[in-house]
Amino acid sequence: MQGQIIVENLAKSYVRRKKGLQYLFQKKEQIPAVKNVSFTIEPGEIFGLLGPNGAGKTTTIKMLSTLLEPTAGRAIINGYDLAERPAKVRETLGTVLTGERSIYWKLTGRENLIYFGTLYGLSRQKAKEGAQQLLDRLELTDRADELVESYSSGMKQRIALGKALIFDPPILLLDEPTVGLDPQSAHKVRELIEEIRDEGRTILLTTHYMQEADRLCDRVAIIDNGEIIALDCPQVLKNKLEEKKLVNLTVNEWRPEIEDSIKGLEPITNIVSNFKEQEGIWELGAHLRNGQKEALPSLLDVLYRNGVQVQSFEVVDPTLEDVFIHLTGKSLRE
Amino acid sequence: MIEKILLVAQKEWKIFRRYPSWIIALFIWPVIFPFTYIFTSKALAGVDGAAVDVFQGISGTDNYTGFIVIGAVLWMWVNFTLWSIGGFLRNEQMRGTLESNWLSPASRMVHLLGASFFFILVNLFVMAIVVLNFSLVFNVEFTGNLLLGSLVYLLTLPTVYGLGMLFASLVVWAKEINAMVFLVRGIFMVFCGMTYPLAVLPDWMRAVSRFIPLTYSIDALRKVFLMEATFADVRGDIMMLLLFSVILVAGGALAFKFTEARVKESGSLGVY
Amino acid sequence: MTWQDYLRAMGSIFLRDFYVFTRYPFNAVFRLIEPVVWLAPVYFMSLGFSVEGQAVGFATYTGTSDFMAFIILGAIISNYISAVFWGIGFSMKIEMDSGVLESNWLTPQPRLVHLLGRTLFNVLITSINCIWVALLAYYLFGFSWGDGIGMAVLTLLPMLIALYGLGFILAGIVLLMREANTLIDTSSYLVSMLAGANFPVTVLPRFLLVISFALPITYGFDAVRGIMLGTKTLLPLATEQLILVLFMVVMTVLGAMVFKVIERYCRRMGTIGYH
Repeated sequence: MQGQIIVENLAKSYVRRKKGLQYLFQKKEQIPAVKNVSFTIEPGEIFGLLGPNGAGKTTTIKMLSTLLEPTAGRAIINGYDLAERPAKVRETLGTVLTGERSIYWKLTGRENLIYFGTLYGLSRQKAKEGAQQLLDRLELTDRADELVESYSSGMKQRIALGKALIFDPPILLLDEPTVGLDPQSAHKVRELIEEIRDEGRTILLTTHYMQEADRLCDRVAIIDNGEIIALDCPQVLKNKLEEKKLVNLTVNEWRPEIEDSIKGLEPITNIVSNFKEQEGIWELGAHLRNGQKEALPSLLDVLYRNGVQVQSFEVVDPTLEDVFIHLTGKSLRE
Repeated sequence: MIEKILLVAQKEWKIFRRYPSWIIALFIWPVIFPFTYIFTSKALAGVDGAAVDVFQGISGTDNYTGFIVIGAVLWMWVNFTLWSIGGFLRNEQMRGTLESNWLSPASRMVHLLGASFFFILVNLFVMAIVVLNFSLVFNVEFTGNLLLGSLVYLLTLPTVYGLGMLFASLVVWAKEINAMVFLVRGIFMVFCGMTYPLAVLPDWMRAVSRFIPLTYSIDALRKVFLMEATFADVRGDIMMLLLFSVILVAGGALAFKFTEARVKESGSLGVY
Repeated sequence: MTWQDYLRAMGSIFLRDFYVFTRYPFNAVFRLIEPVVWLAPVYFMSLGFSVEGQAVGFATYTGTSDFMAFIILGAIISNYISAVFWGIGFSMKIEMDSGVLESNWLTPQPRLVHLLGRTLFNVLITSINCIWVALLAYYLFGFSWGDGIGMAVLTLLPMLIALYGLGFILAGIVLLMREANTLIDTSSYLVSMLAGANFPVTVLPRFLLVISFALPITYGFDAVRGIMLGTKTLLPLATEQLILVLFMVVMTVLGAMVFKVIERYCRRMGTIGYH
């Protein structure tokens, strides 16, 4: 079907090679990066792969875009089998990989767009017209004829997006489209992604920003250690969370033994900590079983007895990040 | 101060060890680079050395292989120094550590001297290998006064590293190390008499070569090791090397101070 | 994708390389000066062995005393050798490190189209460079083309094609390596030298001569000089030409095959762009 992606039991493991003599005698070690991942993305949907760095998101994108050969499993993209018709698959995929270097820095923005347009099969004339339209749309017309090396990160990312859009593909694969961008540029890119979806394109994006997944994605697959551990609409995932309430705190100090004693409290299911270096404070997030607010006094009591000063305190509704914490016991940013 | 210089030299060695290809380049290149010129000169000398007399008449020695080895080794030394010492500040600039390192209390000069000291050791080692290789494998004879040769070498040191320091500052401004190295080493290659006796040059070119310190080093070392020259024979060359040492070291230090002042004033000179 | 699409893509790659080339003005200027830098030391060296401009010793090896013509022909041919090693082999590494290689390989063009497009510009810029070297040599060292230029070009053509096939193999090898600079630098220099870019290979000591005779490129240098300067050739001219044609057939097939195998291997191992 036009714009559909079907992934069945896709897997990838890398061979880790030993150095020196061990290389000869030791058996090569298989490191699984993606383990039997399956999902179907319907046309016109924004589908998010949410997970921490190293979870296997990029590997999945690279397999789907034919840069990597899967170890097992198969995928049908826009009606073409990934393994059998790789060139046809590439014709239907606009892909943006991470990193600022996916375009030529020594070419201008316009030259980049025209170049990639023709490589995707557009005539030179069509590529030129398409480039102009995209430059207008990406608000880059003023700088279109300057070398990319003089662009800001946000502008480079927009050109990379333009490179993927120029041949009007039904499907877009976006690997961490907002990573490394300042908040304003990231916002602009997110708006663009919504626009692209409204044109009826299918979008598969990876991210480790839960707000991004929450805001953009129609459905989210949460991926950790190469496995999909949950897959649904963001709202459904959050609703499923048995804890309906969470506590966010900031404190002046933190020690592992405090964490242990808090975990010992019956109504607390999870606690994660994150040190904010610039402010010199710790952020804590605690999950309350069944939203039992009665647990709050005992939580504060533990902190008080350990000499920890609470600087702020807030009871909130769960986010996708909490879904992840609930499923894995760890934070996304680790 | 000396202690600090040694510490930096030690750090350079540790960094160096991590790039095995550098070591390969360092051992292979000095041996294969002179080959082209040596074999070419052999072809020019002719079957059974038919034209060696001609060469001797112009250069003063029939040992044309030794003649070329000396020129090539010294040129390679400058080439290596331009890349290593000359690129020293530029590398920091690219990494974005130029400013912070310069603002730290430890003097940058100490760092540069430490790095130079390390590269001098490397160079001595390489030269030993080259000389051994050509005298043992290719039967090139080096005779002459080793002490006098060492004096010439010692006087060449400040000119080479002074140039390296001058170059390091220049590169920070010009930002294109490849083009700059190609240019400077190219001028040296054409004019310094690396492969030929200066007598064959047209007058205007010989005038240019007088402004290159390496010309005097190569000339003096050839006289010492191939023609058994005495101190009196190479006194002119030695005086010129002394002069160049003063000029280049002073110039290098001044350029360095000037660049340092500008970095402190205006940040890292705009990276890239 | 039709063959017109492939041709258009190659045209685009050609233009891309052209634009990028013009954006390194220092480099472009340097290319113009470089030949002087390499030719001057050997020119003056030859003067050290010459009587009234005639390289008398040299004539005893080669049968010609026109040393500079011998060297300049060598420089022109080795120009292509280094162009292949750096422009085809190493440039792949640069694209890979920067990440644009993946962007290119995401397009529906076959990998071979990318290599061929790149070759196109490389051949053009190298040829312009060679003509420049010849012109420069004409003014500085009194070099002239002489007779037999047509025949020489015909003889060289299969070797050049073979060289670009070798370039594809190098491109494949470079994909596998973390640090390829030294490999390219050293091998390019050694191949040029041992094949006789700068001297008649007969001056080489025996153990190096064996390698030299095993390199088909040696016969390219030798044949062209035989045709244009009337030097004694190592083998009969026709035999040397036949070797070059065989070399072409083997290298084009092998180049495409090896590249394909290595590229597939990289796709399986995930080595492109993983650092």
